[in-house]
This record gives sequence, C-alpha cells and structure tokens, in this order.
Amino acid sequence: MSDWATYTLQDLLLFSPRVYFRLIERYNQDFWPLQIVLIAVALAVLVPAAVRVDRLRLAVPPILALAWVLCAWQFLWMRYAGINWAMPYAAAAFWIQAALLVLVGPMAGDPAPAGSLRHYGGIGLSMFGLLAYPFIAWLAGRSPVSAETFGMMPDPTVATTFGAMLLLGQRRLWLLMPIPVAWSLYSGLTLWAMREPAALGPLGVLAAFLVVVIAGRR
Amino acid sequence: MTITRRTVVQTLGLGLSLPLMLRPAAGQAGDMITKTIPKTGEPLPAIGLGTWITFNVGDDPLLKDECAAVIATFFEGGGRMIDSSPMYGSSQPTIGYGLRKLGYPERLFSAEKVWISDPASGAAQIKASRDHWGVGKFDLMQVHNLVSWEEHLPALLDMKAAGQLRYVGITTSEGRRHREIERVMAEQPIDFVQLTYNILDREAEDRILPLAREKGIAVIANRPFRQGDLIRQFEDAPLPDWLAETGASNWAQFLLKFIISHPEVTCAIPATTRVEHVRENLGAARGVMPDESTRRRMVDYVEAL
Repeated sequence: MSDWATYTLQDLLLFSPRVYFRLIERYNQDFWPLQIVLIAVALAVLVPAAVRVDRLRLAVPPILALAWVLCAWQFLWMRYAGINWAMPYAAAAFWIQAALLVLVGPMAGDPAPAGSLRHYGGIGLSMFGLLAYPFIAWLAGRSPVSAETFGMMPDPTVATTFGAMLLLGQRRLWLLMPIPVAWSLYSGLTLWAMREPAALGPLGVLAAFLVVVIAGRR
Repeated sequence: MTITRRTVVQTLGLGLSLPLMLRPAAGQAGDMITKTIPKTGEPLPAIGLGTWITFNVGDDPLLKDECAAVIATFFEGGGRMIDSSPMYGSSQPTIGYGLRKLGYPERLFSAEKVWISDPASGAAQIKASRDHWGVGKFDLMQVHNLVSWEEHLPALLDMKAAGQLRYVGITTSEGRRHREIERVMAEQPIDFVQLTYNILDREAEDRILPLAREKGIAVIANRPFRQGDLIRQFEDAPLPDWLAETGASNWAQFLLKFIISHPEVTCAIPATTRVEHVRENLGAARGVMPDESTRRRMVDYVEAL
C-alpha cells in the first residue's frame, strides 16, 4: 500500500477550527464594510446580465476576476498562508483563474436560453453565493463575524462564479472549470476534516454546478 | 465556558492539591520522573511538549499569548523538550514568541526537524528554523518522516560533529515505514527515533523498541492521545477502580503513564493549547509508575471499553 494511502483527512489538517475561524473573523473586521460593497457591486452587474442586458454581460468577467484577485491576495496570500503552507500555491491558482476569466470570459458565446435549466441554475448558484453564503456561518453555529462573503472569501466567490459561468455561455467553459472545481473539493474536504457542517457549502455548490452542466447538455 | 468531565475533575483536584501547589516551583520541577538519553546519559523529563496543530496560530495575538502561557506553564512544571517541524505552519515562530517572553529558559531542550525533499535546501531550512525559534543551535535535529533521509542524515551527523547540534534523529508517525525506520536504526549512528506509540498503537513494541534498547537510541512517542481522539473516546468512560496502581488521577495521565512507563520510551510529547492540560500532562511524570503487569491490565481495560 502506498504511504499516502495511510493518511486520513484529519492527518492532513494543519490547524484547529478555532484558529481558522478566528482568522476569518479578524480578516472581516479589518475590511468591514467592504463585504457589503462587493456584494452590492456584484448584484448590480449580475442581476441585469441575468435578465439579458447584453452590455452588462461584458462587465461580469472583470468583476469576477477582481473578486478572485482579492481573495488570492488578501485572504490566501496575506492571511491563510500563515497557517497553511499550501496557500501560496492556491493563491497562484486563483490569479491564473482571474486571468482566465478576463481572457476567456468575453468569448463565452451566447448566454443560457431564458427558462432553461442552465439559466435557472446559474441564477440560483449566483444568488446563493452572494446572498445565502454569508448565513452559513450562523447556521453552522459560528459567530456571524466569521461569515464568508463574495470577493472576500473563496467559497462564496467560487459559488457566484459557477453561477455566472452557467448564465453567460458555455464556449470554452472547460477552461474555467478546473480551478474552482479543485478549490471546492479542497475547501470542502478541509472543512469536513474539521468536522464542520459548513463543508456542505462548497461540496454542495460543486455538486449542483456539475449536475446542471451535465443535465444541461441533454 | 464549557463544563466538561475534565474541568470538574480538575476543579475538585485543585482543592485537594492546594497544599502541594504552595510548594516552590523548583520543588515541583524537581520531582519529575526523568529518563536517560542512552548515548550520553543526559536526563530528560519524561513528558515533553508537542506543537503539531496546537501552535499553528498564525499572527493572532490572543492565540500566540495562549501558546506562550502554555510554554511558561510547561517550564514552571519542570518540562524541557519542545518538539516542532517546518511542516507545522506557524508553530516555529509561535515557539520563538513564547521563548522570548520567558527569556529563553536554560532548561530548554529544543527538538526540531528537517522536512524538505531537496537535500541542498536542508541547511537553509534549518537556519530558518533557528531564526524562528531564536536559538543559536538545536539540541536535537530529526529527519521528518524519513523525507530524503539518505541525504539529510549525513549532513546532520556532520553538523553534530561540528558542534552545531547535540543529537540527531529520525521520525515517523502512525506506524508508517517501520521497516525502513528499523533499517536506519540498525545501520546509522542516530541518537533518537520518534514514532507513534500509545495504548492502542503498540506496533513499536514488537521490533522497534527492542531495537532501540539494543542500539542505545532514545525514543520519543508522538500522538500519545491520537490527536485528542483517545481523550474524546474515553472521557465519559469510568476510570478503573484500581487507578491508584497506575499513579494516574485522570484519563490523560492514565494514557501518558502507559507510554512513559515503557522502559525504552524516553519521552512523550502531548500537544495542547491549555495551561490546565499542560499541568495535567506533566503530572503523568510524577508519582507511581505502572509496572509491567499493571501496564497489561491497562491495555486490557482500555480495549474492553
């Protein structure tokens, strides 16, 4: 049996839940109320784009890219890397994703047809990432100060990005998928190893995205 | 505050042990059971301090101060060995923070690891570790999880010969690569081996601990509580009515006394973030130690739970 096969998820966890969620709390306090501003900006662009205001569709990839850059720089690189030596690699992946969003996003092709599964799935995941995700901390019994919001924290940013990817066209979608899919798995398994019910957030979002992508192809 | 069985036991114990607490700190440190490092005869308290997960607190001022209090309590209680690794996130700077606050106690026995696959980067990593701790040299440097040990070990032995280290060792955990560990122990002039040994993980008893005795190698037992799982598993179970024979007064001490009462185990390194747990853990190295028949009874009791 390979040496790696003997490791459990708990063996790979480098920090305690208390340390991780205090990190998020202190991060949120440093930036408050930027969280609200980022959500408002994303809503102002995504909602009209979802109801087919074509000119605004071009603004979605840069807004998402900005959110990925902010998460990579301020959270992964400046803070999370202090307790997790893998995070500089994750930050690099997030910067690559931001570049891909800017380069590939505008070439996504026609948006999902109104009333299609992809259209509703995209709206659902985007709104979940922007409006519902911050309440997961509270639902999981944690301090609301540790709420995860779009543009500040990776998981709601990934959820919103998945939603936008479904809404805004499918051409070259495969280029935009690997990094958010990999992050969702990593984040979900990390929370799972911490025995945190919030693990259902990233894993559930990933499952919903994949179901809509696969079902939407039929 | 969450009231647990542990808290209740500690609170009751506090009242009973008040006369003892009034004794001078030096007296508390002095009565600790020590083991001998076979290669030099140097005595070492049988309970050390691990830092895996518990000291990886980043730059959080509150949590860093909690860890510093753990270190202070550890030294006040007679502890010496602190063990860490570059793999443990911010644990090394946290140790340095705690040691600076204490003014670097002379009792410190610093145990570190080299953990890098590129052998050429080993020296730089060790220097970075020294800078994090704020020490001029480490007492013990171990090859972490046997990573590139064929290349690192000669370099560490050279450092030892040059007086830049006092001891050299290797580590593994959770029973991994024991055959390779045996080979290193048999063929290399190492001073320490670190591996997982606790009341449920006793594979080391078959070959590695006898080999340590034969080769004169000190043994550090990691994961004494299986990362807290053993405490969580047993804390609601009754302690045996023959507990006095073990010398323990709670589950943590029961589990630790089993480990350090093995003749070949030099030191166990439980990790914690709480000062009351440090005191509890250090208490395992005081008083009566279980003999061989009591140790067998301890295993039977725990396995029947």
